[in-house]
Amino acid sequence: MIDLITLHVIGHQLRGIAEEMEAILVRGAYSPNITERRDCSTAICDATGRMIAQSASIPVHLGAMPAALEAVIACEPEPGDVWVLNDPYQGGSHLPDLTMVSPLDIDGVRLGYAISRAHHADVGGSAAGSMPAGSRELVQEGLILPPVRLIAAGEHRSDIEAIIVRNSRTPHERVGDLRAQLASHIVAAREYERVCGRWGAPVLQKACNELLAYASRRMRAAISAIPDGIYQAIDYLEGDGISDDLIPIQVTVVVAGDHVCVDFSGTAPAVAGNLNCPLSVTKAAVYFVFRCLTDPDIPSSSGAFDVIEVVAQDGAVVNAQFPSAVAAGNVETSSRIVDVLFSALGQAIAVPAHGQGTMNNVTIGSEAFTYYETIGGGQGASAHGPGPSGVHVAMSNTLNTPVEVLEITYPLRVEHYRCRPGTGGRGMHVGGDGVSRSFRMRAPAYVSVISERRALAPHGSAGGENGHVGRNTLNGDLLPAKWQGHVEPGDILAIDTPGGGGWGPPPPDIRSE
Amino acid sequence: MTFKEILEIGIDVGGTFTDAAVRHNGRIIAAKVPTNPSDQSVGFVDALTAVLASIGAEPSRVARLAHGTTVGTNALLEGTTASCAFITTGGFGDMLELRRQNRADMYRLEVHHSPAFVGRDHVIEVAERCDPDGVVIPLTASECQRIVDAIGVLDVEAVAVCLLFSFRYPDHERMIGDALSAAYPKLSISISSDVLSEFREYERAATTVVDAALGPVVSAYLGRLAMRADMLGAPRPLIMQSNGGLLEIDDAATHAVKTVLSGPAAGVQGACAWARAEGTAHMLTFDMGGTSCDVGIIVDGAPLFRSDTVIGGHSIRMPMLDIATVSAGGGSIAWVDSGGALRVGPHSAGARPGPAAYGNKGQHPTVTDAHVVLGHFVEIGTQDHLVRLDRDAACAVVGALGVELGMTPEACAQGILRLVDVEMARALRVMSTERGIHPGDATLCAYGGAGPLHACSVADAVGITRVLVPACAGALAAIGAVMADVRRDWVRTILCPLTDEITLTQVLAEMTAVARDQDAQAAVYVTLDCRFRGQTHTRAIAWPSGAVAGDIDPLFRAEHGMRLGVEDASTPIEVVSVRITAVRENATAIAPPQPYGVISSGDVSVMLDGATMWVPAGWCFQQRDDGSYYVWRDLAAQ
Repeated sequence: MIDLITLHVIGHQLRGIAEEMEAILVRGAYSPNITERRDCSTAICDATGRMIAQSASIPVHLGAMPAALEAVIACEPEPGDVWVLNDPYQGGSHLPDLTMVSPLDIDGVRLGYAISRAHHADVGGSAAGSMPAGSRELVQEGLILPPVRLIAAGEHRSDIEAIIVRNSRTPHERVGDLRAQLASHIVAAREYERVCGRWGAPVLQKACNELLAYASRRMRAAISAIPDGIYQAIDYLEGDGISDDLIPIQVTVVVAGDHVCVDFSGTAPAVAGNLNCPLSVTKAAVYFVFRCLTDPDIPSSSGAFDVIEVVAQDGAVVNAQFPSAVAAGNVETSSRIVDVLFSALGQAIAVPAHGQGTMNNVTIGSEAFTYYETIGGGQGASAHGPGPSGVHVAMSNTLNTPVEVLEITYPLRVEHYRCRPGTGGRGMHVGGDGVSRSFRMRAPAYVSVISERRALAPHGSAGGENGHVGRNTLNGDLLPAKWQGHVEPGDILAIDTPGGGGWGPPPPDIRSE
Repeated sequence: MTFKEILEIGIDVGGTFTDAAVRHNGRIIAAKVPTNPSDQSVGFVDALTAVLASIGAEPSRVARLAHGTTVGTNALLEGTTASCAFITTGGFGDMLELRRQNRADMYRLEVHHSPAFVGRDHVIEVAERCDPDGVVIPLTASECQRIVDAIGVLDVEAVAVCLLFSFRYPDHERMIGDALSAAYPKLSISISSDVLSEFREYERAATTVVDAALGPVVSAYLGRLAMRADMLGAPRPLIMQSNGGLLEIDDAATHAVKTVLSGPAAGVQGACAWARAEGTAHMLTFDMGGTSCDVGIIVDGAPLFRSDTVIGGHSIRMPMLDIATVSAGGGSIAWVDSGGALRVGPHSAGARPGPAAYGNKGQHPTVTDAHVVLGHFVEIGTQDHLVRLDRDAACAVVGALGVELGMTPEACAQGILRLVDVEMARALRVMSTERGIHPGDATLCAYGGAGPLHACSVADAVGITRVLVPACAGALAAIGAVMADVRRDWVRTILCPLTDEITLTQVLAEMTAVARDQDAQAAVYVTLDCRFRGQTHTRAIAWPSGAVAGDIDPLFRAEHGMRLGVEDASTPIEVVSVRITAVRENATAIAPPQPYGVISSGDVSVMLDGATMWVPAGWCFQQRDDGSYYVWRDLAAQ
C-alpha cells in the first residue's frame, strides 16, 4: 500500500508528463488547428493499456485513447517504436486525427505507453480539409493509416512519413506537425525515465493501480449521488448530407447504486453519409457528460471512465463499422449524444438546457490553401444563470482563428463577426446567443459546410423555451445544413449559429410580448 | 552614515504590509508598515519615513526612489476600474464579448467568462476598414465627428480604440484619437496601435481596453504619490513595470497596462540581483505569501519573459516577466474530498480569521497550522512586533482532520505540507522544464513571508539542491525595485521573410530613431519574434549588436532544435514582430556575499526578519555577511 500523499505526488508527475507533451506539440506544430485552436491531446497509460493521466484541450478526445492503444498493442510494439494510426476502425476517431503511440520501457521492462492525438488540417481525400460534407465511404475522407511505425526500434522510417506527406494537400504543414508530435514522444520517454528513476518500477506500477482505484472510487461516489432509476430520451440529427431523413439517437440510462449503464438501443443504424461514429467517439461523448455532471476534478483516467458502461449495437450510427464514412460523427453526432444524455439525466438531476448542439464546421480551400473553422454559439441556460454566448458548447473547445490571421493567411475577408441578439431561448434564465460570421471570397474555392440545428432547435429545460436555429446562406440564399460546392470571388458565405435553450419558465411579461 | 552616501530606496506595497528597503553601509535595511488598502500612497510614505528614521536620514537625501505597486492588479481583480467606451471597426462590435470563443471552463458549462470590460451599450462601431493590403473603406471626417458626438453622449472617463489591421495601418485610429482629445481634453484615450502594435485583434483590443480602464485609476494613484513625494522633499518615484524595468512616473501614468505585474516583477528583479552577485546562472524564484505563491525563472542571469497573461479574467498581451501564480499559501485550507483524499486549497482562511494558530477563532486547518503542529515555528512578525502562535488551537483543527483520515495530527500535518509542496513543485517544474531548464541546474531563491518555510521541501520535490534565502527575504521586492534598470519598449508586427532585408532594415531604422528620440543615452536592443513559415508560435531571437539579417537564420534554427529536439534545416523563417528596447542601466550591484557564520545542519527553524526559514534534516545552511542564507542538500547524508 502506497500512502495517499506519495500516490498523489506520482499522479501529478504523470499528469505533468502528459501536459508537457501537449505543450511541446502546440508550440512546435504548424496547423492553426493545433497551434491556435489546440485540437490535440496527450496521455500516459500503464503497461496493460489503461489510461493513467490525460491532458485534453478538447473533450472529444476524452477517454478515447485506450482504443488506439489497444490497436497498437495488438501489433506487439518493440522498444523504441513510435506508431501512428488514424483508422477509425482500428483505434482512430476521424481521419484528420493522427494518433501516435510509443511504448515506455525501462531496463527491458514494458511499464507504459505515451499517446498523442492531433487534428492535422489535411490528410487527403475528396475535399480540402478532409472533412467532405457528402462523403459516403471512408476512403473518400483521406488516407487511412492502420497502425504503422513512424519510428521502428529507434530508426526513423522516412517511407511512412513520405506517404502521409504525399497524400496531403498541405505537405509542408504535415511535416511540421508530424515532427512536433514526434518531439512530444521524445520528451515523454525522457521524463518517464526520470520519474521511474525516482520511485522505481515496482512502486510506479503499484501507484498506477492505486491511482486508477482512486479515480474509480471518486466516480462511483459521484454516480451514487444520482437517484436510482431508468431515464430515457430521444433526439434527432437532421439528415446525413445525402438525405434529409431524421436520424434518431435514443438512449436509456440505468442508474443503480454506484453503477451506470448507458444503452443506445433504438438508435438509427449507420447512415449512408458521414455522421457515423466509431464507438470510442461515442464513449468520449458519454464520458464528457458524466464529467460535466459529476466533479470535473475527478482524474481523467480509465479508472473513472471504466465505471461507466456503454452499450451500442454493432453497426449503429453510434458504433459504426467499416467502411462507413465518419468525418462528421466526431463533430456533429458526438454533439447530439451529449444533448440526448443531458435530456435523459435531466429527469434525475439538475442539468443545463441544450447548447447549440453543433460545431458549425466550415472548410474553405483549393489546391493552394485549406482553412478549417468551427464556430461557437449559444450555451444552454441553467438553474445557476443564463447561458454564455458565442462559445463552443460541448465536445469542442477550440479557439477561433483571429480575423487578422485569417485575412493575412487566406484569400478571404470577414465581413462581420458578431452576436445574434435574442437567439438564446427565453426563460427565467435565457440561453446564450448564437453568432454570425460572414466570409467574402477573394479567390475561387471549394466550400464544405457541415452543421446541425438548422431545423430542430436546441431544447429549453425546466420550462425554458428552445433556442433559435442557425442558418447558412450564400449571397443571401439559404443553404442546406450540410452543403458543398464551388464559390467565386465576391461570393459571401454567412454562417449564423444557433442559440442555447432557456431554463425555467420565462417571466409572464416577457412571454406576453 | 557617511556624508556622501547616495540613498536609493525601494518600496513595495503588498496586500498586508508595505516594505521599504535601503542599502546603507553595505547592508540592506528594511522597514515594514501596514498597508492602507484604500490609499496605498499612505503606506508608501509611512514605509519611506520609517526606513529613513532607522538610518537617521532626511527625505531630501534620497537620490532615487523606486516602487512596485499592486494598484493596477487590484483594480482589475476587484473591478474598480474607470468607466470606458470601446471603438472598433463596423461589424466587429462584439469583439470583446466573443473573445477567442472557447468557454470559461471546459466542464462547468454554466461558468461565464468575466464580463467584458465594456458593455455592448458602450461600444461604437466605425464605418471604416483596412485589410492586409491597405485601406478598403476610408474613414471620413463626418464619420469621425459622429464618433466624437457619440462619446459625448456616453459620458465616460476613458476610451479604447482598436480597428482591424491598425498594427499595419494606424492612420484611422490616430484620426479618431486626435479628434477625441481635441474635443475632450480630460478624456483618457488608449489607441491600440500605440498600446500594442501587434496582430490578433482580440488580444490587441483587450489589452487596449485594460490600458484605458486602468488609466484614470493608476494615474490618479501615481499623481497622489508624486504629490506626497514632493511634499516630503523626496524625488518622484520610478515605477516598476511588469517587464521588470522602471518607468518614469509620468510615462507609467499614461501606460497603465504596463504596471499590472509591477509588484511580483520587483521580487523577481530582487532575486536577479542576488543571482548576479552569486554568479548563479539559473534561478527559480519562489515568493510565497498568505494566499498565493508567485513563481518565476532567471536563465543565464536574466529573467525570462512571456508574451501574454490573464489577470482577473482579462487577457493582456504584453511582454512581461514570466511569473506564474499558484493559489496556495500559508492560509490555504486543508480538507478531505469525496474519494477520501486529503486536499489543500484553493480556499484560504485569509487575513481574518486566518490560521487557527493566530488565535482569531479560525476553525479550518491551514498550511500555517501544519507548520505549527510540527514545531517549525512558534512566533511570527518582525523583530519589533512578535506574536506567539497558539499551538493547541492548531493541533485541535489539524487533529480533527487527521481523525477523518485515520492519521495522527503529525502525520496529517506532514501530509498537508507535502501536498502544498507538490502543487508548488508542479508550478516550478512547468516553469523550468517547459522552458528547457532542468530544475536540478537551478538555485531556488525563496522569499515572501512563507517562502523560506517551504523552500527546502519544495526543492527536494523537484530535485533542486541549492536554496538561497536573501537578506530581508520579506522585503525582496522593495530591494528589487531599487536595483532595476529604467527601460522603454516598442513593438511592431511586420510579418515578412527573414530574407527581406530591405523591409527589416527600414523598420529597424524607424523604430530605433523613435527610441533614440526619447532617450539619446539609453542602450538600444533589438529582438525579432521569428517562426518557421506556417507556424503560429514564435520564438524571440536577440539581434546581436553588429549583426546583419543573415546572421539570425542559424541562431533561430539552433534555438528551435535545442528546445524541441527536432532539427529543421530547410524551411524558410518569417519575422512576425520587431521589438526595440531602450535601457538605461542601473550600475549598482550587490557585492558577492561571503560566508559569515558556521555551517549548521538541518531539522531546525531559523527566525529571519519578517519570515521564518525551515531547514529539514538532510540540508545544511550557512549565513553570509550580507544577512542572506545559503542552504544546500547534504549529499553525503543521503
